[in-house]
Amino acid sequence: MSLLNSSHAPQLVSDQGEVNVNGWTLLADDDALGVDQAVLSFGRAINELDGLNGRYGVRVAPGDDVRKLAPFLSKVALIEVAFPGYRDGRGYSTARILRQDLGFDGELRAVGDVLRDQLFWMMRCGFNSFLLKDADPAGAIRHARSLYTHAYQSAADGLKPVWALRHPA
Amino acid sequence: MYQYDQFDHAMVAARNAEFKDQVERRLKGELSEDQFKPLRLMNGLYLQLHAYMLRIAVPYGVLSSRQMRTFAHIARTYDRDFGHFTTRQNIQFNWIKLADTPQILEDLAAVEMHAIQTSGNCIRNTTTDQFAGAAKDEIDDPRPFAELIRQWSTFHPEFTFLPRKFKIAITGATRDRAAIRVHDIGLQLTDKGFDVYVGGGMGRTPHLGHLIKSGLPGDKLLSYLEAALRVYNRYGRRDNIYKARIKILVSALGPQEYARQVEEEWATLDQAQIDAPHAEIARIKSFFPQPAYAEKPFDVASLERAKAADAGFARWVRNNTLAHRRDDHVSVTISLKPTGLPPGDASSAQMDAMADAADRFGYGELRVSHEQNVILPHVAKADLYELYRLLDQNGLSSANVGKITDMIACPGLDYCSLANARSIPLAQDISQRFADAELTDKIGDLQIKISGCINACGHHHVGHIGILGVDKQGEEFYQILLGGRADEQAALGVITGKGLSAEAVPGALERLIKLYLELRTDETERFIDTVGRLGREAFAGALHEPA
Ligand code: HEM
Ligand code: SF4
Repeated sequence: MSLLNSSHAPQLVSDQGEVNVNGWTLLADDDALGVDQAVLSFGRAINELDGLNGRYGVRVAPGDDVRKLAPFLSKVALIEVAFPGYRDGRGYSTARILRQDLGFDGELRAVGDVLRDQLFWMMRCGFNSFLLKDADPAGAIRHARSLYTHAYQSAADGLKPVWALRHPA
Repeated sequence: MYQYDQFDHAMVAARNAEFKDQVERRLKGELSEDQFKPLRLMNGLYLQLHAYMLRIAVPYGVLSSRQMRTFAHIARTYDRDFGHFTTRQNIQFNWIKLADTPQILEDLAAVEMHAIQTSGNCIRNTTTDQFAGAAKDEIDDPRPFAELIRQWSTFHPEFTFLPRKFKIAITGATRDRAAIRVHDIGLQLTDKGFDVYVGGGMGRTPHLGHLIKSGLPGDKLLSYLEAALRVYNRYGRRDNIYKARIKILVSALGPQEYARQVEEEWATLDQAQIDAPHAEIARIKSFFPQPAYAEKPFDVASLERAKAADAGFARWVRNNTLAHRRDDHVSVTISLKPTGLPPGDASSAQMDAMADAADRFGYGELRVSHEQNVILPHVAKADLYELYRLLDQNGLSSANVGKITDMIACPGLDYCSLANARSIPLAQDISQRFADAELTDKIGDLQIKISGCINACGHHHVGHIGILGVDKQGEEFYQILLGGRADEQAALGVITGKGLSAEAVPGALERLIKLYLELRTDETERFIDTVGRLGREAFAGALHEPA
């Protein structure tokens, strides 16, 4: 994956190309919970969400087994999946499990080493927002969306695989 | 063979347009080499010691004459007039200019070819039996399933950043000619579905694959693979590239535990969305019919007369043809291992000649084998002598298939930046040492496989004789392995004796062979069988000059 424009500060952009201000705050594990739109670490989320009210964000690291979040998903509005380096592809599986196995329908955000050349794959796996390092985040989304009109396989974006187009039901 | 429809064309065209733009940005200096590297690697473009190398996918080794002519055109127009057929059933061009690559990819797209996923940590080209659809011992044709896997794995969004590259091999015959046990996943097609082997591989820690599932139905193959890849993607090691292949995960978990996790993951998948329906499998299968066989009257007596009159032809028929499912046809292997030349290389003129041969005598179809040879899968016996003469006029009639000089060798220090030692010149020396046809035939079936370093691109672990280049205080040395095999009785060779200099290797092999000829029960006992019967220790002494 390219390191294009990786010197740019990350900007929050949706899969529709809207650039937004990030209202969420990542808490350290010993921070108090009082803030609005708090993002909890994965460990804290699975330990504490059961006893909490309201809706939270959760930060998932590549090695975290996201299925452990299943009992608490009704309290989760945002999941940030961390990509510490673009070569670490575990977050793609995390995203598909969240969307297609656990049925998570909140905001699924890619954070970390997120560059324009990954967007196509990320969107297919179910991400709908990105902390993107790019000079032109909206343009990057447009570009990623224009790359391929078809896909050979189904994933989390609802695109029908080519075989379904070849054999309409 | 498979033909693209509008969707397949659109997919390749889109990728080529994207890459063309990236090359232009690189040439204008908008991208640095660091930024460009991951992009070019997704398109099979490597930077080697001296120049760019382009690796083109030959899907499961199946090639039309028209595609072969395009390779000839690329060799002539953009390279130094030759190309290199590889152990991955692909072709590489070693002297490519960056500015030419978009045009090359366009030329390839015109004949339904590309270089997508020939590098990078993704699912690579699926390899298979070079005699698929032709061999007498075939149970079912693996090619439609290889094509199914090709489509499913192309731009798979979840598996583009795996811990490491991923290679799948598939065979549908009783004899394993695809080396499925040394691939990340090996698939054996049986009359009850697929046997799935996982965790094979070579490199610095070779493993043989473990059977984790039997009787997997063909229409469930893709979802099962998706589950297998997901477990690997999530739990394969990423902290150390030498421990990142699936073989390490499978041996750490144990094959049973890995299999259990795959089953568990498989059960969570929406299989109906992943597995192509029967209609699609049937559509793909329809592209792989038997050829419209020519009913050529074939007269054994005239073949025997030609053999009696031309000893070279007789030998070529004996060594380079394989029994076909039809009695009046054979499969022909064109050896790319002539004496003293780099294994797997072919000139543009030779590529054109092979394409002509396929059109005139082989129903327009060719294959590449992992032994780095080219195959005409269907040839009428009545045409053999004419075919032989055409090949002979083009330096393509080496009659050494399966013999000691039919070696596999990796690019080694001549091209590769990771190499410890040269592979190609050593292969050339050995082929010169054993150039005598009578001796070669007397020795019989014997596979030598040479790698220039521990990465094992030359399959040295599974050579009957493996040769591994090592670096000893700045000098090139070679270790000899004995007892490996890549077939249905797959085994890993073991280093035997001390390292040898390049000059010493051919002599050591001569002594080894001499001893084998003394020890074998008779000429039906192959080298590998004698090593199996007596143990490799019996041969260790012969590798070293008597003091
Ligand atoms: C010239 C530059 C090349 C480089 C830098 C290179 C690099 C490597 C490396 C690092 C590995 C070890 C992978 C691992 O164990 O995880 C490897 C394995 C392998 N490569 Fe290459 N390679 C080169 C050329 C080739 C060629 C020309 C072929 C033939 C098509 C080839 C086929 C293979 C095969 C068959 C393996 C071993 C099987 C496996 O475990 O995957 N390589 N290569
Ligand atoms: S085995 Fe080593 S020397 Fe040979 S091509 Fe592979 S990496 Fe290079």
